[in-house]
Amino acid sequence: MRNEYVSRRGTVTNSWSRNQNIVRHTTKRLGNLSLAAIFGMMVLIVGLIYATQSVKATNYDYELSNIEDEISDLEARKEDLAVEKARLTSIAAAENSQVASNMPDGKPAGYANE
Amino acid sequence: MKAREKVLKVGLTVAVVVILLQLFLIQIVQHDSWVKRAEDEHIVQSTIKAERGEIYMMDGDQPTLVVMNESSWTVVIDPMLVDAEELESTLSKIIPKDKMVAEFKDATADKTRRYYVLARGLKRDAAEKIKEAALVGVYLKEGNARVYPEGQMASSLLGFVNNDGKGQYGVEGALDKELAGEDGVLKTVTDVNNVALSIGDDNVRVPAKNGKNVVLSVDRNIQYRLEKYLKEQMDSSTATHAAGLVMNPQNGEVWALANLPTYDATNYANIEDASVFINEPLESAYEPGSMCKTFSFSAAIDQGKMTPQTTYNNSGYMTVDNWKIENAYKGQLGTITMQTGLDYSLNTSSMTALLWLGGDNNQITQAGKNILYKYYHDLFGFGEYTGIELFESPGVITEPDAADAYNSRYANMTFGQGMQITMMQLASAFSSVINGGEFYRPTVVAGEVAENGDFLYQDSPESIRTTVSTETSSTMRQMLYGTRAYKRTNGTDKAGYYIGGKTGTSQGIKDGAYTFDETVGNYIGFGGAEGEMPEYVIMVKIWGDGKKMEGEKDAMPIFDKMSEYMIDYLQIKPGGQN
Repeated sequence: MRNEYVSRRGTVTNSWSRNQNIVRHTTKRLGNLSLAAIFGMMVLIVGLIYATQSVKATNYDYELSNIEDEISDLEARKEDLAVEKARLTSIAAAENSQVASNMPDGKPAGYANE
Repeated sequence: MKAREKVLKVGLTVAVVVILLQLFLIQIVQHDSWVKRAEDEHIVQSTIKAERGEIYMMDGDQPTLVVMNESSWTVVIDPMLVDAEELESTLSKIIPKDKMVAEFKDATADKTRRYYVLARGLKRDAAEKIKEAALVGVYLKEGNARVYPEGQMASSLLGFVNNDGKGQYGVEGALDKELAGEDGVLKTVTDVNNVALSIGDDNVRVPAKNGKNVVLSVDRNIQYRLEKYLKEQMDSSTATHAAGLVMNPQNGEVWALANLPTYDATNYANIEDASVFINEPLESAYEPGSMCKTFSFSAAIDQGKMTPQTTYNNSGYMTVDNWKIENAYKGQLGTITMQTGLDYSLNTSSMTALLWLGGDNNQITQAGKNILYKYYHDLFGFGEYTGIELFESPGVITEPDAADAYNSRYANMTFGQGMQITMMQLASAFSSVINGGEFYRPTVVAGEVAENGDFLYQDSPESIRTTVSTETSSTMRQMLYGTRAYKRTNGTDKAGYYIGGKTGTSQGIKDGAYTFDETVGNYIGFGGAEGEMPEYVIMVKIWGDGKKMEGEKDAMPIFDKMSEYMIDYLQIKPGGQN
């Protein structure tokens, strides 16, 4: 009976040299044209993204501009109404109103003695 | 072949060098110039107009708007581009006549001009109609206009804003800086439609700081009523002008400041008589007349030289510097009290007070003049600005050491002639005489309305100085109350109220000399509950070119009505009935 296990593949040195040509490695390189084309496409894509975003931003600017116009228009109308309200509540308007002309003359107030 | 290659190479090299040189020239040498041209093309810089602050008056204890802003449009045409016939036929139906600043024919006559203002102050509806008409060569310029919901009320107090947006006269002129605010700046990249774009590194936006919304201490109800009564008195007499003021004697707050005739501030450019712009109670110094006896008497009482019951001999006149200075009222001759002298407004009584101030019963002395000047100028503030927030005149008081400080001038000054002061100076000094002796700087500003609409009160005014003692003040109240004894008898002054006052009829000045052909009627007085301190001071003045107005006949009735109104308006309960 053998007391020792002995690999049939031999020593480490032996197996290395035996398996070295199992896969064949070849160096593949892109040509200049392909690289230029890929680079160009990437630039194009980035450019498109930039253009899209810029257009989007400009659209927002237009929306903003419209909203600002609306706000200033509404504010101007609010101002007009405030002016109208002030005119209607002025003393002269109140004194010359129909309601005032139908009111009896005021009498001096009486005061109760404390 | 070789030669052709060479030519090609040289040609290409030259072309590249030319291009590089051109690039160098554009990008390096002319860099700034091209950047500027690009910016001019794409970047728009405009001013963000600050909104002018609005003006409020008090309405009881709440501020209410009396001067507001409203959008208005100016119509500008390019005479070279417009079709004159179409322009007139279209715009004459839209633009109100009073808004036109030029005739259609004049505006379109000179075809070489590129800019002509056709109309100003258009309202929104008219501007929208013009926009819809889309006429070639017609442009609309939006701006702001002031609006006065109370009409012509307090016009000389408020002033107006001219076409350049600058405040003129009154509150608008004096507080122009606070009301105007500060314009902002907007610098941004725009597209062909002039829409601001968010791209670009140089966008700048400095927001405008809107002007302050000023709240006046003037109460619109009191102002309206004062103007109404002044107008009624003018209509019932031959007077052509009247002015008045109402103030709180306990803190110097002005409640009304009126000047008649008023004017339409929206149409200021067409006013022919520029004197209507003058805020009479502050800007016009004049000889106030016998109301000044209040102050010469106060000085003598404060110096311990007299009481209301002190007597003197009224001969009807006094000779000073060889001038015979007479009483207007010829009665009450003989020995009379100073109270009687004040009741009948005798010039001899106030001149006697000056004699006593100088310590000599027979002649006016330098010491007497010095003391009178100290009271008039140093304590009552005559001849100096009161410090109110508006434009004012300092007036003129002759110093006792001046070459023209004649005894006769000082004798005249005891009854309000030979000196020039404003109504505001007089009313402020009068307030101190009857309020216990405290002089308050008059004010027309109560505070401001913040952007969020909150009313922020200004600090309550404090007394600047003491003019007379509390005892003198109390004595003067009694004396002034005494002058209205017959007003209580005939029922004008109601029981339970303590109302006092003094008339003043001052001579006009024609060609540098006093004349009796033209006189100014004045009255100043106070009122409140009996046993309490006065709550209001009212002063009125009425006059006209070549008209003889009197304090008692023409000015006092205005005070009487106004005093009654103030008692009701302030809800002053009658005192002294327990």
